[in-house]
Amino acid sequence: MTFGISSMAKHNGEETVIAHGVRVEGEFNSEGNVVIEGDVQGVIRIAGDLKVGEASKIAADVTAANAIVAGEIRGNLSVAGKLELLATSKIIGDVAAETISVLAGAQVNGRITMDGTAGLKSKKKEELEVE
Amino acid sequence: MYLYVYDESVQGQRFERELALIETRLTDLGISGKIARLALFRDAEELIRDEVRRGTKTVVAVGNDQTLRKVMDAVADPAIVIAIIPLGPGNNIADILGIPQGVAACDVLSARLVEELDLGSVNGMRFLHMVTATGVAPVCTCEGSFSITPVCKSTIEIRNLVQSDDLGAADPTDGKLEFVMRTPRRSWLIKTVDALTKLPFTHLQLKSADTMSLLVDGEQLQGTEFDIKILPKQIRIVTGKDRKYV
Repeated sequence: MTFGISSMAKHNGEETVIAHGVRVEGEFNSEGNVVIEGDVQGVIRIAGDLKVGEASKIAADVTAANAIVAGEIRGNLSVAGKLELLATSKIIGDVAAETISVLAGAQVNGRITMDGTAGLKSKKKEELEVE
Repeated sequence: MYLYVYDESVQGQRFERELALIETRLTDLGISGKIARLALFRDAEELIRDEVRRGTKTVVAVGNDQTLRKVMDAVADPAIVIAIIPLGPGNNIADILGIPQGVAACDVLSARLVEELDLGSVNGMRFLHMVTATGVAPVCTCEGSFSITPVCKSTIEIRNLVQSDDLGAADPTDGKLEFVMRTPRRSWLIKTVDALTKLPFTHLQLKSADTMSLLVDGEQLQGTEFDIKILPKQIRIVTGKDRKYV
């Protein structure tokens, strides 16, 4: 199974898309579903589902409801529900998720936690930040 | 009480017959009113504001997108209903609102399907449809928390009222504007394709070292810094059953 630009370029129905050739810096928050094919640096907080394209390079701590990753994430990844790591994905950081699916070729350099507290942790973190 | 604002462009012989038909139909429907004719040296804003002060509750632009823009600029009170009877070319907004050309628009006006829509604002200049800028590479700061920068010159669109296209339709009632950036990139063939970035927002700032030219509902605005925000439910406008937005 491949999950590159060709499959991710179909944007219809997606609320937010960060395309290849675009750089995002700062605290990126979204209430809906997000597709990232470009580069992001900072913090990513997504209430909906996240797709990270093959050419995408993310240097950020990421939280999302569910995620499919084909690109590179340098930072901690916290997913409340299901995380799919595709063959081209590379995670340099800790991963927390309720369920994880990993394809052959995917790289994870960090600790994997599956104790069902990923969503709670990200919520608590957000609450602390609000306080 | 209705005020019909005739644009300069519809006052020639070309639309004489159509205007006569419109006036007859409006009388038949019982919605005739005062007619104000725009002219080169007549201040449209003052003319319309005077009539609103005298008790006009509905202002109807008779002409095209530009006529509607003049009416919108003059009518600051969101309680006043705005409508359009499209005549001639340049009627993109009327088309999206589902208002047919010429005399057929009178029946839609009479049905009075009034919608409360959002407006956008660029440096204080209000817009209903969209803003475009081509060949630009500004730093776009969204909601004051993150920035978006294209790696090469791109086309930017800020959409409020847009009919459904490859990106779907922009909803002018959701309290958000839509930012779209089309960044050209070479595919594996020589052909260039656009990579599309899109996201909803309420506040966006564009900053560029070079002067940028923005088309705000067809009107040009130049500068290096632009402050763009949503003005929720700022306009009450007559729409048709065949409207093309969400």
